[in-house]
Amino acid sequence: MKAKLIFEREDQDHESTVLRVKGDVTIHTSPSLREQLKPLFSSQQKRIHILLNDVDFMDSSGIATLVEGLQWARQSGGRFVLSGLSDNVRDIFELSKLDTIFDIENSTA
Amino acid sequence: MTDKPNIQDVAFPTSPCSQVGKLQLQLNCNSDCLHVLRSIVTVMCARAHISKLRSNRVAVAIDELFANIAEHAYGGKPGKVEFESHIDDSGEASQLIFDFRDYAALNWAGCMQEVATQPIDHENLTPGGLGLKLICSVADACEHHILADGNHWRLIFKLSTGDHHES
Repeated sequence: MKAKLIFEREDQDHESTVLRVKGDVTIHTSPSLREQLKPLFSSQQKRIHILLNDVDFMDSSGIATLVEGLQWARQSGGRFVLSGLSDNVRDIFELSKLDTIFDIENSTA
Repeated sequence: MTDKPNIQDVAFPTSPCSQVGKLQLQLNCNSDCLHVLRSIVTVMCARAHISKLRSNRVAVAIDELFANIAEHAYGGKPGKVEFESHIDDSGEASQLIFDFRDYAALNWAGCMQEVATQPIDHENLTPGGLGLKLICSVADACEHHILADGNHWRLIFKLSTGDHHES
């Protein structure tokens, strides 16, 4: 069995995209998340919203992939928003001391 | 790193694997092994009566350490890793212990505690380097010993009275 992530992408307008992620984000699955994010970073997006409601496990490779989104936001002036963090995932962000750095919304949208 | 499942990846040694509180296995680094490790962590955390949130932390630490061995020690190629977990009740406080033994030619010369205490540069965030920080922030003790033919890694999680003896 090969683990994989499932993505549901919704382009709300030309400047805003919502990406729902389903599955465990690990060293083996985070490359597919990066593949989903890359074209968004190079587009004219102003807001990228990542829904993590269906992610119950995330390791440092997942956080590292999301850090790339943070870098994109800083460079482009856009917003890279995370929401729907489970207790487990939020805990890992807090342990990494990155919970205050990311734009995390409490709503599960 | 190969994605091809291989039944030989998981081999229980001749030790008494039915022994309560102790599990051993031998792995080849590939993606399927993470599932096996995660299952063992779940079992051991349940035996140790560790909370769900802390179990997730333990799982992340084990995941990170195995990924580090696979990616850095073996360079992403298949390599033998022996894994053992047991609950140590011999001391004053019980401990949940995870041991990894690799046979990689490459020895890591760093110091886990040094990595863990390096502050995160929030202004210049880089994707790398978080794994060891997570391991060290989650485990109560992280040990690394360079051997003649590889590395020995040990992660120790102290069990509070509430953790281990609650019914």
